[in-house]
Amino acid sequence: MKIALVGQPNSGKSTLFNAVAGYRSLTSNFAGTTVEYTRGRARVNGDVIDLVDLPGLYSLHPANPAETCSREFLLAGDGDVVVNVVDASQLARSLELTLELLELEARLVVCLNMMDEAVRKGIVIDVPALADALGVPVVETIATRGQGILETFRMAIRLHRKRPSSSPRAFPYAPEVEATIQGLAEALGAGGHAGHASHGLPPEAGETDQLDAATPSGETTAKDAARLPGLRFRALQLLQSDPQRVAQLDSATAKAAESAQRQVAMHLGQPADVVISAARHSACLNLFERVAQVRRPRPDWREQVDRVLMHPVWGYVFLTLIFLGFFRLVFDVGKLGEAHILAAFDGLIAHLGHLLAPSSLGFAVAKGALLGTAGAFAIVLPYLLPFLVGLSVLEDAGYLARVGYLMDAVMHRLGLHGTATIPILLGYGCSVPAVMATRILTSRRDRFVAAFLAVLVPCSARMTVIMALVGFYLGAYWALGIYVLNLAVIALAGNILTKIWPEIAPGMLMEVPPYHHPALRVVVLKTWWRLREFVAVALPLLVVGSAVLGLIEFYGWQSVINAALSPLTALLGLPAAVGLTLIFGVLRKELSLLMLMQALGTTDVHSLMTSAQIIIFTLFVTFYLPCLATLVSMVREVGRKLTAAAATALLLLAIVISLAARGILHFFY
Amino acid sequence: MVMSDKMESDPPLSLYRAKRHVTLRVLSISGGWGVRRNLNQMGLHVGDVVFVVHRAPFGGPLVIENRGGRVAVGRQLAEKIQVEVIL
Repeated sequence: MKIALVGQPNSGKSTLFNAVAGYRSLTSNFAGTTVEYTRGRARVNGDVIDLVDLPGLYSLHPANPAETCSREFLLAGDGDVVVNVVDASQLARSLELTLELLELEARLVVCLNMMDEAVRKGIVIDVPALADALGVPVVETIATRGQGILETFRMAIRLHRKRPSSSPRAFPYAPEVEATIQGLAEALGAGGHAGHASHGLPPEAGETDQLDAATPSGETTAKDAARLPGLRFRALQLLQSDPQRVAQLDSATAKAAESAQRQVAMHLGQPADVVISAARHSACLNLFERVAQVRRPRPDWREQVDRVLMHPVWGYVFLTLIFLGFFRLVFDVGKLGEAHILAAFDGLIAHLGHLLAPSSLGFAVAKGALLGTAGAFAIVLPYLLPFLVGLSVLEDAGYLARVGYLMDAVMHRLGLHGTATIPILLGYGCSVPAVMATRILTSRRDRFVAAFLAVLVPCSARMTVIMALVGFYLGAYWALGIYVLNLAVIALAGNILTKIWPEIAPGMLMEVPPYHHPALRVVVLKTWWRLREFVAVALPLLVVGSAVLGLIEFYGWQSVINAALSPLTALLGLPAAVGLTLIFGVLRKELSLLMLMQALGTTDVHSLMTSAQIIIFTLFVTFYLPCLATLVSMVREVGRKLTAAAATALLLLAIVISLAARGILHFFY
Repeated sequence: MVMSDKMESDPPLSLYRAKRHVTLRVLSISGGWGVRRNLNQMGLHVGDVVFVVHRAPFGGPLVIENRGGRVAVGRQLAEKIQVEVIL
């Protein structure tokens, strides 16, 4: 049997999922989209259940692609039982989704999670009364402590096995509205629109390109059509839809829906969506008052914490301190790991020299492959791992929402929301987790802009190039100048991108969840999934790329490559010998530095390159293509086309900046 | 559309200009279908009693409390919400 977990964001849905499905869970994409869901298998009392953890959604009227995918999944009737995870401490608001799910006529279990939080807030819930009012089983849980989880799934299995004694009670709307819904449902039934899960309803997310294929099964078969939920739900959804989108539907449906919306507006004097939303809201409040009592909340230390961390002055001080500490920790841990792992690989390479003749082709290729593996394991992983752990901890504890709140005003200047601060800050460490972190943004547009700006930020590898070349030979002020120039370029790029692709959402609207202890299991699993993705995709590319470079060295093709790149190097006024280093730089940025010394045949770069050339080279390396691992993560997050566009734009940007620098520096040197 | 504040003779206070820790009632939400939908999803409806808990500097967002839940609302959105002071 298949159980779908549905809930509003921050309801603890994933904690519930992770508690039963474990490390072998898979993240998959909804067909034709970048929206991910997690599925896993769990054993409950000898029963094997397939679990699907749908992306969190606030209502069945979706606001982003993730929510649309969840709705389409539910509409297709792909889950045998739907478990609705509800944040008990936010019962009044959360019940709105529950009431919508009742309208869907699915087999439903309500999981009243975060009961401890509700108690702290002084909310006392009469669970049997709630179950009775909804007509579905209600189970109390504290997922973070594992309480009530088994009971929830046992209930779901029981519900699947036999007809439930009570049936879900969708609450009635005002008589005029009910009559209109009835009429619209009949019109839909007569038109045969029930057979199309994804075509009977307009997409709402403003990202139509992703929505057509959003049904997980891909196509709607006759069998699916038979299981499609009632026409009443479809009629209700149409009635609440954006009139502009309704007009885009096929003429018969659009006509029926428009006339229904007009009827409701005429009878009740307000737009149909307002009528329905207000009716559901008041039904929720009534239900809440019937089943819950609110007593005096316990004094909460977290309130005091927020008074400091969200303070207009102290908030920023602590933000800076927390991120400095975070980066420091990541670098210290990373450096330690890097040194040990590199030493191990050096040993391996030395050992390889005994097995294969150092002048043989085999040795060159094997050494290249080993160096590539070393790059992944010794350079990227030691930094990536603590980054991902730290990020998960900050995210799970609820601090990232505060960062978004504090940084919103600044990020708006760049055409982004506060939430996009995270990827951009992470960019100073490593571009790979930075690009991965863009996933927390809801629109594809925001994800792309944030990823583009995040890779413009000089990562730690590029920092070594800036420090070792410009900082060392020309002085700290010149290095600082590059960072300042970089910030200006990021601000400019943000503004240009916003001109090309304007913001969709009008402003920030984000839940600020209470702080809680990050659950170890959630942090470990989240880190493991993100890491597994990196290893599976980037590692093979690094290994093969490095082996090919080994081959190039073996056959002495450097001169061919340098000649091929000579138009570029000549344009920038750089020695032709640096051509190959730029290719290496795409594999791993800090390799540009090592390769530069190797290509010039000296560790004293300044003896062969002028100050102007050093600055131009550093600027070019800072801005041109991000490394291969970053490009791969970018493809995963925003798709091939946008990644190619970004890479082209970055390359052009680097050439323009380097040329401008060449022109200006001409007057100095 | 129907809920535009232009129809009110005495324009109510926008949520963005409300003082912290003052109890407010949402009078109307101006703006289109999308704005209403987004705010409704976050549990914010006309008639709700809310108050401002935090306010970010430099024209940043507000954090408002609504029946125990907290939501950060950006300036542009907060200016679309009209409120009255009830306490």
